[in-house]
Amino acid sequence: MWNLLPSVSQLLFVLFGAMALGCAVAMVAQRNPLYSAISLVGVFVSLACLYLTLQAPFIAAIQVIVYAGAIMVLVVFVIMLLNVEEEVRRPVRLRSLIPVGVLLAAVLVGEAAFMLQIGDSAALAPTAPAASDVGLTASIGTGMFTKYLLPFEVTSVLILMALVGAITLARQGRTPLFAAPGNVTEEPAVLTEGGELALKPGDTAATGRAYAREQIRGGDAAAPSAPAREEDER
Amino acid sequence: MIPLTWYLALSAVLFTIGVVGVIVKRNAIQMFMCIELMLNAVNLTFVAFSSYFGDVTGQLFVFIVMTVAAAEAAVGLGIIIAIFRNRESLDVDDASILRL
Repeated sequence: MWNLLPSVSQLLFVLFGAMALGCAVAMVAQRNPLYSAISLVGVFVSLACLYLTLQAPFIAAIQVIVYAGAIMVLVVFVIMLLNVEEEVRRPVRLRSLIPVGVLLAAVLVGEAAFMLQIGDSAALAPTAPAASDVGLTASIGTGMFTKYLLPFEVTSVLILMALVGAITLARQGRTPLFAAPGNVTEEPAVLTEGGELALKPGDTAATGRAYAREQIRGGDAAAPSAPAREEDER
Repeated sequence: MIPLTWYLALSAVLFTIGVVGVIVKRNAIQMFMCIELMLNAVNLTFVAFSSYFGDVTGQLFVFIVMTVAAAEAAVGLGIIIAIFRNRESLDVDDASILRL
């Protein structure tokens, strides 16, 4: 299945690599965040295709589902929610530092080329990926739930923390805390559609006290027996 | 077959584009997306090495990087929404004072 001609695999690499590079440059060059997001989806999809050529179908599928699906939908959702305007063009500051930046960039490119050159001659000599089951879901699952079980579990804790943090950050103002006794000074009256106080399973103590007061006010219960009645209703 | 260095070079260029984006961009959401691009460049390196050396560990780390990216998306977008609510702007220059 993967016995493609060398020229074909190189053609695929050049095609998807160029797509990824073009979309990445477009993402940085765009001023409108929404266009940037669409370009980033292009990068993700091209990288998924590259993963397929690297015989990693599981990672390719996860790439499309999680990145292009979940994360980018979240980003686009926030862009739409906040109604972000286009970036304003600002004058370049520190213009005198531009030659320094060009020089440093040249040094970086030289270093990278040197390292890749070394890698080419050393142990990283190109060996064709042998036909194996490395990229398949079964082998990934086996590795994840045996040797790397602890990192996997720690990751789930991380997700939980991120969930709590995101909710805390995005919360609008002061959220009503769980109405424990002593936590609430102003007890809200919970009314049904008919305008009557009602108790539901899972109501808090504050609701129960408000209910009892309403009962006493309406003459349905005498003051001393109000707590007992509250218990009965629950 | 494609030399491994091709993948590494592509990954390096993608990462550099991401770094340039983070430096150049003023919009918080676009900076955020450039960070995602950098994470993806690293993922490409992981998968290339994993495939060329026949070791599944690299792809497991890609999985974990994706999880971290998802957590980062949740927290980062929460921060962006909080900043926007206070300043009515996503320009990071407007939020250079770390005070709401």
